[in-house]
Amino acid sequence: MSYKIPMGPYHPALEEPYKLDMICEGETVLDAKLHIGFNFRGIEHLAETRNHIQAIALMERVCGICSFIHTLTFCRAMEGLTDQTPPPRAQYIRVIMAELERLHSHVLWAGIAAKLMGFKTMFMTCFEIREKIMDILAAISGNRVNYSMNRIGGVNRDITDPQSILKMVEKLEGEMASTVIPIFTTSRTARSRCAGIGVLSLEKAVSCGVVGPVARASGLPQDLRKDAPYAAYPEMEFDVPVVPDGDVRARLLVRALEIMESCKILRQALAKLPPGEFHTEGEKFNFITGTSTARVEAPRGEVMYSVSWKEGSRNPARVHVRTPTFAVMPAIRWMVKGARLADTPLIQASIDPCYSCTDR
Amino acid sequence: MSSMETIKNKLGIPVSFVEQGGVHWLALDAAKLRELAKAMNEIHARFITITAYQLPKDEGFRLEYHWDLNGQLLGFSFLLAGKTIESIYDLCEAADWIEREIHEEYGIDFTGREYEPLLLRQGETLGVNLRDVVAVSQEKL
Repeated sequence: MSYKIPMGPYHPALEEPYKLDMICEGETVLDAKLHIGFNFRGIEHLAETRNHIQAIALMERVCGICSFIHTLTFCRAMEGLTDQTPPPRAQYIRVIMAELERLHSHVLWAGIAAKLMGFKTMFMTCFEIREKIMDILAAISGNRVNYSMNRIGGVNRDITDPQSILKMVEKLEGEMASTVIPIFTTSRTARSRCAGIGVLSLEKAVSCGVVGPVARASGLPQDLRKDAPYAAYPEMEFDVPVVPDGDVRARLLVRALEIMESCKILRQALAKLPPGEFHTEGEKFNFITGTSTARVEAPRGEVMYSVSWKEGSRNPARVHVRTPTFAVMPAIRWMVKGARLADTPLIQASIDPCYSCTDR
Repeated sequence: MSSMETIKNKLGIPVSFVEQGGVHWLALDAAKLRELAKAMNEIHARFITITAYQLPKDEGFRLEYHWDLNGQLLGFSFLLAGKTIESIYDLCEAADWIEREIHEEYGIDFTGREYEPLLLRQGETLGVNLRDVVAVSQEKL
């Protein structure tokens, strides 16, 4: 006999609003339905009532983890409407901030995943490392979460002493290479809890249009930093980790390997930071009539903004935000099908869902 | 033959893509939408999203569909005189949530599919233009 188990809207793993109705037989999940929108904020509509400076601050609030990425994508779209090209130093600072944010996001996720695996010592190690990443972000921007770094035509703050940031990054890389990475890639606990569960096949990954680490963990080698490079990424050498297995362990491995690739990018960007201005001159912009679209590879995958403006208008006519979790979350239905009920919190957490982004 | 030429040939249209701000655009008749979705599947393009624009006065809506083809961003624009367009959900599973979201926010009906509430809770009216509802409630204030 089958029965329905509702999980949420208070999520047991991530303490955020989202609901999964699972049809079970015994301990096995037969099917599931997802419900979002419990905290929908109408940010896209709100953006139409804000000028370009206010709208940047608003877009920073779409997501608490990747706030930099959202303003980066929004500013890149608006730069297309104002014919502004950020100077090379700004492009490098954008890469540095984006990769620090990726480290922050992946290490935070690793901590939560460790907690769900029953590996609480690892959870504390990850959160200790995360604090150090936030210290670097605060040293650059002055803020721990919403960094206020992006502006149309560049960034608001310079990195005046890249060598000191480089030393902090190298120290952090050493700590991660000796703790988080070996445990997640070789430990028996991680393997026994994650291998073979929550599988998303390559075919389903393609049909669901998933993005980011979830796509790469199902064997799809897609990453906008390589496929459609922006900012200073064309000048960086790095690999895109791809694992074909499609299970929770593959998602864990992809993120662990990406942490090391982000450190590689950070070392290059900090060492090669070009001299010069870090933003274009002036704060008044002439927006042309039209729509501009920009995409960026966020820690969770592709973010896309479409911004529409009417010449002479103070506010955008339309802002559309496609967040990575919005693309990935429907695939949870296929990941939990056939899984044991006890594994479902970890399976759901394995996509690193951002409910704030989804309920934008 | 480039993938974009392939798309053009599959749709049987004389116009070419126009590159603007890093997006390759093509304006199409709404009747071509499902043919387009099939062509995108055949060339293994990845569906990204649909963006809805409400046009001034009673001019209807503009829908922009985006696909990624090996890092190239493709945009297809459709003008809707009314409030209906065919759904591509059966051809493109990734379009499910965004069709439901647009239906709930703008009242646009993607024909040929069933709706379940996505953002709104059960019991609330689906398929109304929330923008108009907000505008009316603001006028009352």
